[in-house]
Parts: sequence; C-alpha cells; structure tokens
Amino acid sequence: MSYFADKQPLVADIFSRYPDSPQGRRSALMPLLREVQDAEGFVNGSRMDEIAALCGTTATEVRSVMSFYSTYHTLPTGRYHLQVCSTVMCSLAGSDELWDHLVAELDVQSGEVSADGRFSVQKVECLGSCGTAPLMQINDDGYYENVTPGKCARILASLRADLQPLPDNPVPVTVNAEGRQVLASGEAVGASVTGLSQLPAISGGEA
Amino acid sequence: MKVNVDGVELELPAGTSAIDAVFEAGGDVPYFCAHKYLSPVGACRMCLVESGSPRKEKDGSFVMDDATGQPKIFWFPKPMASCTMQATDGMHIKTARSSEVVAKAQAGMMEFTLLNHPLDCPTCDKGGACELQDRAFEYGYGASRFGFDRRHADKHYPLSDFVILDQERCIHCKRCVRYFEEVPGQEVLDFIERGGHTFIDTEEGGLPTGFQGNITDICPVGALLDNVARFRGRNWEYDHTPTTCTLCPVGCSITVDARNGRLERIVARENREVNEAWICDAGRFGHAFASERRLTVPLVRVNGELQETSWDGAIAAIRAGMAGRNAADLALYLNADSTLEEGVALEALADAMGTRHVDHWPRYEVALDAMPNGAATLSDVATADAVVVVGADLGEEAPILELRILEMLRGGLLPPEYTHGTAIADLRLVERPARDPQKLAVVGKESRLWGHAGIRASSNGHNALERLSQPDTAELQAALKLLTDSEKAIIVLGADVLNGASGSFAAQLSDLATRTGAKVMAIPAGANSKGLAALNLVPREGGLPYARVAEAPAAFISRLDPGVRARGLTIVHDSHLTATARLADVVLPAVTGYEKRGTTVNLEGRLLELEQAALSAGEAADLIRTLSAVSEALGLRAPVRGLKGARDLAAQRLGIKLGGLPERGVIHPLRTAHVAPTEQVYTPQLWTERMQPSIQTLIPANLQPLPMLGAAPVGGDD
Ligand code: SF4
Ligand code: SF4
Ligand code: FES
Ligand code: FES
Repeated sequence: MSYFADKQPLVADIFSRYPDSPQGRRSALMPLLREVQDAEGFVNGSRMDEIAALCGTTATEVRSVMSFYSTYHTLPTGRYHLQVCSTVMCSLAGSDELWDHLVAELDVQSGEVSADGRFSVQKVECLGSCGTAPLMQINDDGYYENVTPGKCARILASLRADLQPLPDNPVPVTVNAEGRQVLASGEAVGASVTGLSQLPAISGGEA
Repeated sequence: MKVNVDGVELELPAGTSAIDAVFEAGGDVPYFCAHKYLSPVGACRMCLVESGSPRKEKDGSFVMDDATGQPKIFWFPKPMASCTMQATDGMHIKTARSSEVVAKAQAGMMEFTLLNHPLDCPTCDKGGACELQDRAFEYGYGASRFGFDRRHADKHYPLSDFVILDQERCIHCKRCVRYFEEVPGQEVLDFIERGGHTFIDTEEGGLPTGFQGNITDICPVGALLDNVARFRGRNWEYDHTPTTCTLCPVGCSITVDARNGRLERIVARENREVNEAWICDAGRFGHAFASERRLTVPLVRVNGELQETSWDGAIAAIRAGMAGRNAADLALYLNADSTLEEGVALEALADAMGTRHVDHWPRYEVALDAMPNGAATLSDVATADAVVVVGADLGEEAPILELRILEMLRGGLLPPEYTHGTAIADLRLVERPARDPQKLAVVGKESRLWGHAGIRASSNGHNALERLSQPDTAELQAALKLLTDSEKAIIVLGADVLNGASGSFAAQLSDLATRTGAKVMAIPAGANSKGLAALNLVPREGGLPYARVAEAPAAFISRLDPGVRARGLTIVHDSHLTATARLADVVLPAVTGYEKRGTTVNLEGRLLELEQAALSAGEAADLIRTLSAVSEALGLRAPVRGLKGARDLAAQRLGIKLGGLPERGVIHPLRTAHVAPTEQVYTPQLWTERMQPSIQTLIPANLQPLPMLGAAPVGGDD
C-alpha cells in the first residue's frame, strides 16, 4: 500500500520548499524519509521505492542517503529506542559497558526488538554532549546524561512500567526565525549570542 | 599556458588538469578514482602533488622572488589532489619524483587505503591487472604499522548473474557508482552506510542488463569481477589479442584473452572514435560459445549419419555430391559478419562458378550511402545537438550507439587528447551531469532509449519515415521540428524501418535530410553488412535469395542457420553443429569471429581489423580457406587462396588497401554495389541462440539471489 497516495497536499508542500528542477526534486528526499519514519517508525523497502519514484531517483540512492544517517531505520524499532553513544569520549566514560549491559539485560541486539516490543538498541556516533558522557538518547525525546549503572537500572525500571523519565536534556527540535533553538512546545533551549549576559568587568589592571 | 612539472617546463592548453600536466611532462602520479571517461571527484587522495602558482601585485606585475629574480611561487601549504586541480599559467607542480613531502604523503595514503584491505592478492582474480597492487608496490612503504583485525564484509556477493562484488576489497573510489550515473544513466549502485562501514550495493534487485560489465573493467581493485571469467586464469597467463567485436555493426575494440586455447575473457579496449572505453554485455559475456561444443573436424553423411572425416574426405564427398551437377548449381550464402576479405573471396568464386544464387544475411534491400549531408560517425552522434531515432531497438541492434546518444544528452563533451592519450581527468565532466532529454526523439516502439527521450512517438516501422516527414501528431511534429531547428542533427534508422524499405525510401530519406540538414546513420543489419554491400553478394538475375535456400539445387551455407537444407547437396560451414548442420551432407568446421584475421566495416563505414586469438579450433578454417577446398572439389582453381590474395583483390575491386590499418580504424566511403529483394524480414537479436545456453551453464548454481527489500524493483531504467 502506498504511503503518500492520500497525502498529496503534504507532498506538494514538501516539494514547494525546493526548486522546481530535477535536482530540487531530489532534495525533498530527506523530509519524505522523515515523514515516513515519524509515522511508521522505520522506512521499509517499498517506502524507499515510493520515495525514489517521487524524487525521480532510484531506491539505491534513497537507501544510500538513508544509511548515511543513523536516525533513519530500515527495520522496526521498539517503543523505546535506546541510542548509546559509542564515540571515544563516551566509550572512555563507560559506554561500552553500558552497551553490553543493555544488550544482556534486554536480550536484544542491534536490529532486533525485545519480545515485549518495548526495547531496541543502537550504537550511534558522538551525540555532541561529550562532557556528560556516557550518553544515551531515547527515541527523539532527549539526552540521558552520565548514565551510570544505577541510573541505567532506574531508567529501565521505569521504561518497563511504561513511565519514561524526563530526559536530562530535551532535544531541541527547530531553529526559529531569530536563530534560537526551540522545543516543540516553543520553549527556548540552548544559548544564543544575543541572549548572553554581560560579563562582569575585570577589576584591577589598566587594560 | 606554461606549467612546470618537476622542473620541466611545458606548454599546455588551458583547462588541463594537474594530473594530465604531470603525465604530459612524462611523469607519473598514482591514481585510483580518476578515470578517463568519468567525472573527477578526488575520492582516493592518491594523486597528491605539491603545487604552487605565481601571484600578481595590484598593478598586474608578478610578485618577484628577490633571490632568483623570477616570479615568486606561492605553494599550497599541503599536497593537493592533482585530478581535481586545474593547472594554471605559471603553476609549478612537484610529484614524488622531486618532492619528499609527496612521496611520504602518497606512501601514507597507501597505508591508509590498505588499512582495511583484506590483502587477498594471492587468491584475487585481479592479480596481475590490479591498480592497487601495482601502485602499492611502486608508491607504498612496503610495510604496515597496523596489525589489528581488518574490516570484514561480504565476499562473493552477486550484484547480478554477471558481476560479483567483494565488498571487503572495495577502496571506495566510486568509479562504479559514477559509471552507472554518468554513462548509461542508471543510478543503480551507491555507497551504503558511512565511514569505515561503507560498502557498495544496489537496492534495485540487480544490475540492469546492457552495459553492466564495464564496471569490472574500471574497478581498480578486485572488488568487481566478471563472473563469466573469474577463477579461470591470471592476467599474465592469458594471450591478449586486440581485435574487433563482430556481434553487431558498432565494431567495438576489444581484447580477447585466451588461455590454453580457450576463450576465457573479453575486455574493452579504448577506441576514442568508436566505443570510447565501453562495450556491451553481449560483447563481454557472450563469448563462452567460442570455446564450447565446437566443431573441430569435417563431417560427412554416411548411411544417413554424420561421421567425422578429414578435409580430404570432405572434399571427396563434395565432389561426389556435385557429380552430374553444374558448378553453377551451387548456391553460396554467407553470414554478414564475415570479413571483407572473405566476402571478396566468395564473390570471386561465385563469378568463377557462374552461380546466380549468392547472398549474404542479414541485409536490407536498400542502399542509403548517398545521403546529402554524408554519413554520421559515432563522434558526430555524441556531439550532435539533436538525434532522432526511428524504428530502432539499439539494445539489440547497436548497443554502444545508445551510449554515444546518452553522451550527447549530457553535453557531448569528448575528452581532450594529449600525447599521453585521453585526458585522465577532464574537469568539464561533472557528477550527476545535467541531461537534456529534449535533444532526443524516439519514433517507433518502446525501448530502453525510450525512457531517456524527451520526445516519444509510437509508430510502426513501415511508414515511420513518411510520417516523420509529414507529421500527423504533435509528437512527430516535435521530432521534425527538433531536426529542422538544430544545426547538427542526426537521424538514426533501425531495423523496423529498414526492413522492407523499397526504392523510394532512399529518395524520401534523402529529401528529409536535405530539408533538415541532418546526417544519417542507418544501422546495418549485420556486423559487416556495410562492407559486404560494396561487393556483388546478392542474387544475380534469376538467383535465389537466402530466404529461398530450400529451393536451391545445392547450397554452401557459411555460418547461417536457416533450419532447412537445399534440394540437393547441402554443405554447411559453421563453428557449431547447428540445426542446419544436422541436416547437411557435408559439414565443414568454421572459425569464429575471434579467430580470424581480416577487416570489418562498422556502421560508420569505418574499416576495423580483426586479429586471430589463440583458440583451439581443431581443423576449423575461415571462409577463404574453406572456399579453396570447395573450389578444389568443383575442379576449379580458386581465385583467392589466402588473406593476401583477398587483400590484393580487394584493392582492385574496391580501391582500398586492407591490412595495417591504424588502431582506431579509418573511415572509407564504400558504396553499395547491388541491392536485391530479400523476401524475408530481419529481426535483430544480439544474444543469438548459440550464445544463450552457454551463459546459463556458466552461472554457478550455488549463487545466492540478491537480497531484495522491495517487492518489485522500481526506478532504474530496466
Ligand atoms: S567496487 Fe571497485 S569501482 Fe566500485 S567503489 Fe569499490 S573499488 Fe571503486
Ligand atoms: S556494441 Fe556491438 S560491437 Fe560493441 S561489444 Fe556490443 S556487440 Fe560488440
Ligand atoms: S562522545 Fe558521546 S556525546 Fe560525544
Ligand atoms: S583523488 Fe583519486 S585520483 Fe585524484
């Protein structure tokens, strides 16, 4: 069954953001992938074919682009998709052990979903929060920082009860017109140069 | 533009890349990702050089070096990839020969490229022809500092029945990806995953047929291998014979690799004018028949059964069979892929015998070599500004012509040529080139090319030309307008229109060509139809065409398989025991197109040479020698008894000197000598029946089917 057949306005809207040329059409690849992924949790082969046809390219190219990003999945994920940063900072701070623990504890490997449909795991590249390593992200919801064995146990316990603890650091979702990153709720996150407060004057000394 | 390479000053045309500057200066740079006919991308970082340029002051004078009094050279701080860098006036380039920095950078790059390479050279089929191996030897450290476990990926991963990928060996040069994107215009391969996990794969469920084999030539390592040839020999074990493919009238330059008398592999040979660097899949993979189930000795029918005999035995049988008959009763039919020399010999013998029944097949009954704007060459097609293809299925008739048309769609940029050969990096070529489908009109049935055309008009063959001249639909009007409005238009005609084209056809075509200023390329029916048409090889007054071989009093049929015998003595000259051969009285073993010396004339009118590969074919003989035997049996003195005699006669008959032709061939205007009705429609088929079964037997049964995610492949062009 086709995904976009009954979503022509959406498709038209996505295409309208790009130049009306063969190259422009190809640029719509990423938002189309995102659309399917958000709705279905992953992008399967026939969806890739469909997106390829829409963009005027081949399924091979769609898969090539998709596979470049760890955020797109070709296989279904669990209700809680645990992404463990495995780059060097996190790895030094114990993410390898965290990974081994998760895999053993939840009895899932990359690409699998636990029997109860709750969990899937994935190693990802640097999530850009090395100072709070080891780091884990759950779905698109946010960062769980300094995930020690104790913290991991608490997180898993609440996830098993389908109560997801709030992330330490919610993931910013968009950049608004002022260049601020904001959450879906509109709440501003992160810093901006304009919002920086004045540093106190350095006392003593001339220049 | 003056460029200095390792202290050698040389004059170069503007637009030359730094890598070509180095080669032009007689130097060397190792490279993996650059390829003569693909866009330069700078992916492998092996072609590093140091480079610097003079800089100008505000007033336009050069910044001078006080010490030397010469313009000061400002060097780039790091070595640069020479394949993506344009050489500029006054530029200085240092290669490993004069720069230790470059030598070290290249050795380091080599070490990096080999970091995860499986190093299975001892068992890899590319050994002896592997650019990675050669360059590692020439430019590497000779030792590695990395002792860890290497990356593991799929080995023997079939991309199709014909091409096997070893993902471990891939060095990510992207040549195969760019080839499919840029040449046949099919994006069926790409990098999957990223970083150290990147591998080559397709999501389309396989590679499109037609031109997939070319990636096995251009892969600089043993990652992509020709499945028909792999594990059959090493490069240095093969006898390499440069020759011309005679499966279709394009006449691609190929190298035939034989080992122990078997034809094991065919690879493309560069011919800038004809096939550039590519050949079609039939040309590459369809050769197995040449070494399978060959007829190696003559056979004669004794008590209803074919029995092996000697040539003398066969000659005696022909003599006996012709007893009581006139030599003039023997009809002579030959395949239109026979060489010009063979044609000359047969024509001479036919005259000596006085037979009226002579024919070659396949052929059309129309002479189109007197077109007002001359015949188009393949380079004309590639650089045209409009092409209208009428009634042709290029995939069956002339595959490489299709690639030259696609070349036209992406701008018709023929790579420049230097004394070191074709430019290694032509900086005008870009990845994902913009194509202009509006420059191509396809009139006729749907074909592979149809998908690339901006103007498509369905039409039946027999009146397609008439309808194009007087367009009755919007599409045909657009096609005609395309021809009229362009400066360098080409009309390509194929089997659908040429079949049964009558006398008025040529006049009609010539009229259209005059009106539009277009050049014409009519695809001949057979590989050498164009050459053979210059001889009198059609039924003479009262003679029987090939279609009526069954009515001939007696017949000699060379490498044709009509499936019937003549009324009387039937002599078949063929490389295999065909259906016709099974019906024959005498069967004479023939050599294939790969084992012949001679000349063939391609669709442009270009004379190209065939060379004899070292295949074991027993007592098989080419047509010239076979005809001498036949004339001996008929009690005639053969007018031509060898290649030299045939060439002398060709010089008299056609006014051309055959033999010793330049590698790219020469265009010679040959005029069609005679036309005659064929009484038969010709349907072009590239993979002939005898080529079919051999492919099947070559595909190992244990090959895993490609993993397919989608139900049915969508996209791509096949
Ligand atoms: S398979 Fe060969 S041609 Fe293709 S990217 Fe790898 S090394 Fe290059
Ligand atoms: S295009 Fe024709 S001549 Fe060239 S390789 Fe194919 S069959 Fe042979
Ligand atoms: S290394 Fe884990 S967030 Fe950077
Ligand atoms: S970077 Fe590969 S040849 Fe230049």
